[in-house]
Amino acid sequence: MTPKTDSKPSAPAAKPRPEVIAIRKTCDAEGTGLSHYVLMDKEVKR
Amino acid sequence: MTLQTHPSSEGGLARGLSSPLQPFDIGHPSHIAVVEPDTAFWGLVRKDKLSEALAGGPLLDTYHAQADNFRREMEMLRFGLKPSAVYFNPTERCNLNCSYCYIPEPMRRSGQQMDQATVLDALERLHGYFRGHMPEGRLPQVIFHGAEPLLSRTAIFAGIEAYGDRFRFGLQTNATLLDESALSFLTERGVGVGLSLDGPNPGVADRTRRRWNGDGVFDHVVRALDRLDGYPGYNVICTMTEANLPHLTEMVEFLHARRVPAGMLNVTRCTLPRARGVRGDDDRVAKAYIAALERTHQLYRTSGRKLVVANFANILIAILAPTARRLMCDISPCGGGRSFFALAPDGDLFPCSEFIGLPAFSGGNLFRQPIEEILNAPAFRRVTGRRVEDVPGCDGCPIRHFCGSPCPAEAYEMNGGMGQKGAFCRFYEEQVRYALRLIADGRHEDFLWDGWDDGTVPSCAIGAA
Repeated sequence: MTPKTDSKPSAPAAKPRPEVIAIRKTCDAEGTGLSHYVLMDKEVKR
Repeated sequence: MTLQTHPSSEGGLARGLSSPLQPFDIGHPSHIAVVEPDTAFWGLVRKDKLSEALAGGPLLDTYHAQADNFRREMEMLRFGLKPSAVYFNPTERCNLNCSYCYIPEPMRRSGQQMDQATVLDALERLHGYFRGHMPEGRLPQVIFHGAEPLLSRTAIFAGIEAYGDRFRFGLQTNATLLDESALSFLTERGVGVGLSLDGPNPGVADRTRRRWNGDGVFDHVVRALDRLDGYPGYNVICTMTEANLPHLTEMVEFLHARRVPAGMLNVTRCTLPRARGVRGDDDRVAKAYIAALERTHQLYRTSGRKLVVANFANILIAILAPTARRLMCDISPCGGGRSFFALAPDGDLFPCSEFIGLPAFSGGNLFRQPIEEILNAPAFRRVTGRRVEDVPGCDGCPIRHFCGSPCPAEAYEMNGGMGQKGAFCRFYEEQVRYALRLIADGRHEDFLWDGWDDGTVPSCAIGAA
């Protein structure tokens, strides 16, 4: 629940995009949120 | 070769010849998506290279090499989790009468409420349950929810004080009772605070969120926002209705200007009939929602500061890293009853708060039965057994694991049964199209919070800059 709010914008995607794009990342599943509450990060960093 | 890619489907897209990959038109000028629905494996292919990509090449090679891993990953995500969170409703009562609330009016007017001893007893029982299976170093989460949980302020604050080292706590509130001392208590203990606000000014916000006497509460929420400025663990939920759709872009401008770090733009959950009266039409909701998301991107580009729309970020993550998703509404079975459950003030457990007004979905009582037994009750299994591939119209949809056909409570109450779709099928489809267009354009990271993929490892990276 702690998005950094001061990150620098990435460069605009002006160059031609690849012919094929496929991205997948994996990790242990820990999802516990539902639409009644914003639950994004794993911990409130104080 | 002729390939059908039905531009708007509600499921039933055609498969390209014998390829496992189904084309899915995303409305992008140069690229089209291809998806293998069961593994949620996808690629984006330049349109003039589609036939080639479906016949062979790196995309299919990756799919064939990794399909078993992807399948296992989805199996674990969909059927292998144990609960690690509880949505804790200490009271049925609320001091507001919002037009789309999923809790029936008689409960909100004069329902049950836990006292302090009962809250502490419940937390002890929950701790005992979670301790049995949670890995060391990971705390279960308790989200105080409602109705309005701050009507039980003394009891829940006692719970947070007593169990702060055994749970991670959160609170979703309408902000009317969130005074200075309550905010100090919560922020000093790192409690997540969610506020609800439906518009950028009282004229819009107070249309749907009002007291029983009709008075609006916009000013209360703004005061709380001002007090929370700078606290990393707060956010705002905005429910999209016919009353605020024309103002969504202005709403994200309002939140961004107040440095709110994250929010949600939620569709109206149509579980109770009254909510259906304010729900927006799918296409109008999608148009306003995407315009608002684009505005968050412009604001980020000009200010360097993100307003993350968490429910959309979760759709992006569902596509980029299915197991890294945080919200469990947009997957089937949904997280209700398997990655979280809800506790009602009388001790009854429900798969999700959305079912609290539906007595048939009580699985048992925390104070009288073991939680493991309740999780296996027929009332829970009806929800945890709902699979999107069994839902007519979703069974042939290539993006079914980026959507999950939410919500089962809606499907049951509004559409005639668990085996039916939820509401907002076309909205979810347009949302996925937009997410894939962002990936095609290389803009998707701008919509995600920094560090969203901490702890992940790449399993496929073709054309990823």
